[in-house]
Amino acid sequence: MSVLEITDLRAGVETNDGRKEILKGASLTIKSGEIHAIMGPNGSGKSTLAYTLAGHPKYEVDGGRALLDGQDLLAMTPDERARAGLFLAMQYPVEIPGVSMTNFLRTAVTQVSGQTPKLRDWTKELNIAMKRLRMDPKFARRSTNEGFSGGEKKRAEVLQLELLKPKFAILDETDSGLDVDALRIVSEGVNRAHKNTGCGILLITHYTRILKYIKPDFVHVFAGGHFVKTGGPELADELEETGYDRYLPEGSTESALA
Amino acid sequence: MGVSNSMAAGQRVLPRYDSKDQYRYPAFMPSSADRTVKSFDPAEFVIPTAKQEDWRYAPLERIGEFFEPFRPSGETQVRLSFLDGSGAVSAGSDASVSFERASRSDPLPGSVGKPADRAAALEWDCVQQIYALDVHRDLDQPLLLNVRGTGEDLDALHVAVRFDPGVHATLVIDHRGLARLSEGFEISVGENAVANVISIQEWDAGAKHLGSQRIRVDRSGRLNHSVVTLSGGVVRLRMDPDFGGPDGYLNMLGVYFVDPGEYVEHRTMVVHNHPSCTSRVVYKGALNGKDARSAWVGNALILPQASQTDSYELNRNLVLMPGAVAESEPQLEIENGNIVGAGHASSVGRFDDGQLFYMRSRGIPESAARKLVVHGFFSELVEEIGIPAVSEHLMATIDRRLAMEED
Ligand SMILES: Nc1ncnc2c1ncn2[C@@H]1O[C@H](COP(=O)(O)OP(=O)(O)OP(=O)(O)O)[C@@H](O)[C@H]1O
Ligand SMILES: [Mg+2]
Repeated sequence: MSVLEITDLRAGVETNDGRKEILKGASLTIKSGEIHAIMGPNGSGKSTLAYTLAGHPKYEVDGGRALLDGQDLLAMTPDERARAGLFLAMQYPVEIPGVSMTNFLRTAVTQVSGQTPKLRDWTKELNIAMKRLRMDPKFARRSTNEGFSGGEKKRAEVLQLELLKPKFAILDETDSGLDVDALRIVSEGVNRAHKNTGCGILLITHYTRILKYIKPDFVHVFAGGHFVKTGGPELADELEETGYDRYLPEGSTESALA
Repeated sequence: MGVSNSMAAGQRVLPRYDSKDQYRYPAFMPSSADRTVKSFDPAEFVIPTAKQEDWRYAPLERIGEFFEPFRPSGETQVRLSFLDGSGAVSAGSDASVSFERASRSDPLPGSVGKPADRAAALEWDCVQQIYALDVHRDLDQPLLLNVRGTGEDLDALHVAVRFDPGVHATLVIDHRGLARLSEGFEISVGENAVANVISIQEWDAGAKHLGSQRIRVDRSGRLNHSVVTLSGGVVRLRMDPDFGGPDGYLNMLGVYFVDPGEYVEHRTMVVHNHPSCTSRVVYKGALNGKDARSAWVGNALILPQASQTDSYELNRNLVLMPGAVAESEPQLEIENGNIVGAGHASSVGRFDDGQLFYMRSRGIPESAARKLVVHGFFSELVEEIGIPAVSEHLMATIDRRLAMEED
C-alpha cells in the first residue's frame, strides 16, 4: 500500500513579465488502488500540477509538500521521481528523433526496475503490450513519438504506463483527441495497469465519456490553482450539466483570472 | 577550363557561354571549377580571409601560421602496421604492400590533382616527410597508418596512397598526439579496386590540423572513405575527389563529435568528371557544449561530360547543449541534364530541455538520456563504417566524453 500526499502545493513560472503564480495551495491524498478524476477549466493549473509533481524544471515550487510513501518528491530529480514510482502521461508527448521506441522503453524499464530485460524477452513483452493497444509492431522501430498522430502518441503513453508499472500515474488528458475506438482501447490499457499493479491513478480530463470506461472513486474540481470541491462519480455528471461557473469568482472566467 | 574543354571539334556552331544571358545554356555557365585556383605554387593563392568562400567559417586567427612559408619540424612520427597488431609492415617492399619514403619527383606523390588552397600548396612546397604507400595485392587485414604528433612546432606531412587495379584493401589512418600539422594525402583507387580508407582524428586538446585529401577513383573502382573526427583544437579537412574513368563509386562517410572550444570543419568537394559514376556523402556531427563549433560544406559538381551521374550528399548535426554552432552548407552544381540523380539534405537539430525532461520523467538519468540520443543519431552511420574495431572505439570514446559532461 502506497500513499501520495500533496499538501498546500504552491508553484509558478518565470515569464517575461515576471513571476506568475499558478498553483496556489493544492492539497490531495491518493492511495494505491484509488482512481481520482480531476476536472477543471482551461488554464486552471491542472497540467502545472502534473508537471510540478514530475519535476519539470520550468515550474518552481514556492511552498508545500509532495510525499510518496513519506519520501520528499520535491527534493528529487525528475528521473529519481520516476524511479520512486511516479509516472506522468503527458498532455503533449515529446518527440525524440533518432531514438527508437524499443530502445527508449527498454532503457526506461531498465532504469525503473533496476534490471535490464533480456533482449529476447523484451522484444516479446513489448510486442504483446503493443498488440493489446492495437499498435502496429512497426512502431517499435520508429523514433519515439516522431510523426505519431495525436491518438498514436496517447496510445504510446499508455504503453509506457503498462511497461513501467508505477505506483502512481498521472494521466493528463490522455483521452483528448481520441476517436471512439481508441478511447476504449486506451481506457482498457489504463484499467489493465490499474488491475495488474494496483497503482493509484490521477486522471485529468475535460470529458465524462472516459469515466464510462475508467470508473473514478473520487472526482475533484480544480480551479484557480487549487482543489475547490471533491465528490463521488456523480460530481462529474453535475459538472457536465452546469459547467464551472459557480466555482469561479462572480463574473470572471479562468482566463481573465490568469 | 570547363567552357573550352567541352567544345568538341565539329562543323556545327556550338552554343557558347554568354555572360549577359548566362542561364541560356546551363552547361556552359562558369562553374566553381572555372573559378577555383588549383596549383602547386603557393603564390597563386592569396592569404585566406573570412571574405573568401573557402575560409568563411574557419577561425583564421588561430591558424595563421599555416598560410606562410615555414620549415617543417619533422617531428611527426609515421608508422605503418596491421590493425590487429600482427607485425609492422617494414619499410621497403614485400609482396603485397610497399611503403617508402619518397620525394616530389617520384611517380606517386603529386599525381592526383593539385592543391586547392594556400595551406595545401605550402605543404607541398616545404614538406620533407613524403611517403608512398602502394597496395599491390588483396589484404585480409586492415593496414594501420599511425600519425603521431609530438609537439607544437609546425610540421608538414605528405602521403600518397595507391590501390593497384583490382585489389581489395582497407587502410586506417590514426592521427593522435599534440600537433600543428599541415598534411596532404593523395589517394588513388585503380580500376576495379575496392578500397576502404578511414581517417581518424583524435588529437590532444589544442592540436591544429589542416588536411587536404585529393582522391581519384579509376574506372569501375570503389572507394569507401570515412572520416572520424573526435578531438583536436582546430581540425579542418578538405576532400577533393574526382574520377579517372566511368562507373566509379565513391561513398564518403563522416562522423564528428565536438567539445567546447573545439573547431571542426569538413569539406567534401566531389567532382563528377566522368560519366556513370556514383557519389554518396553522409556526414553527421554532434556538438557537445557551449562554444563547440563545426562546419560542413559539401559540393557536388557535375561537369557537362558526366552523364548518368548519381550523386547525393547529406549532413546532419545534433546540438546537445545551447551555445554550440553548427554550419551546414550543401551545394550542387549541375552542368549536365542527363543524370540519374543529384540530391542533398542538411539539418541542424537540437536536443532540447523538453526532450530531456520527457526522458527523465521515464526514469532515465540525464547522462543516459544524452547517450541514448547520441547513439540513435550515429548508430546507422557508425555501423556502415564497417570496421568493428573502429566503430567500437568510436562509440566508447563518445560515451566517455558524454559521461564527463556530468561532473
Ligand atoms: N511555461 C509557462 N509559461 C507561462 N505561462 C504558463 C506556463 N505554463 C503554464 N502557464 C500558464 O499557467 C496557467 C495554467 O496552465 P496549465 O497548462 O496548467 O492549465 P490546464 O489547467 O492544464 O489547462 P488545460 O485544461 O487547457 O490543459 C495558464 O494560464 C498557462 O498559460
Ligand atoms: Mg492541461
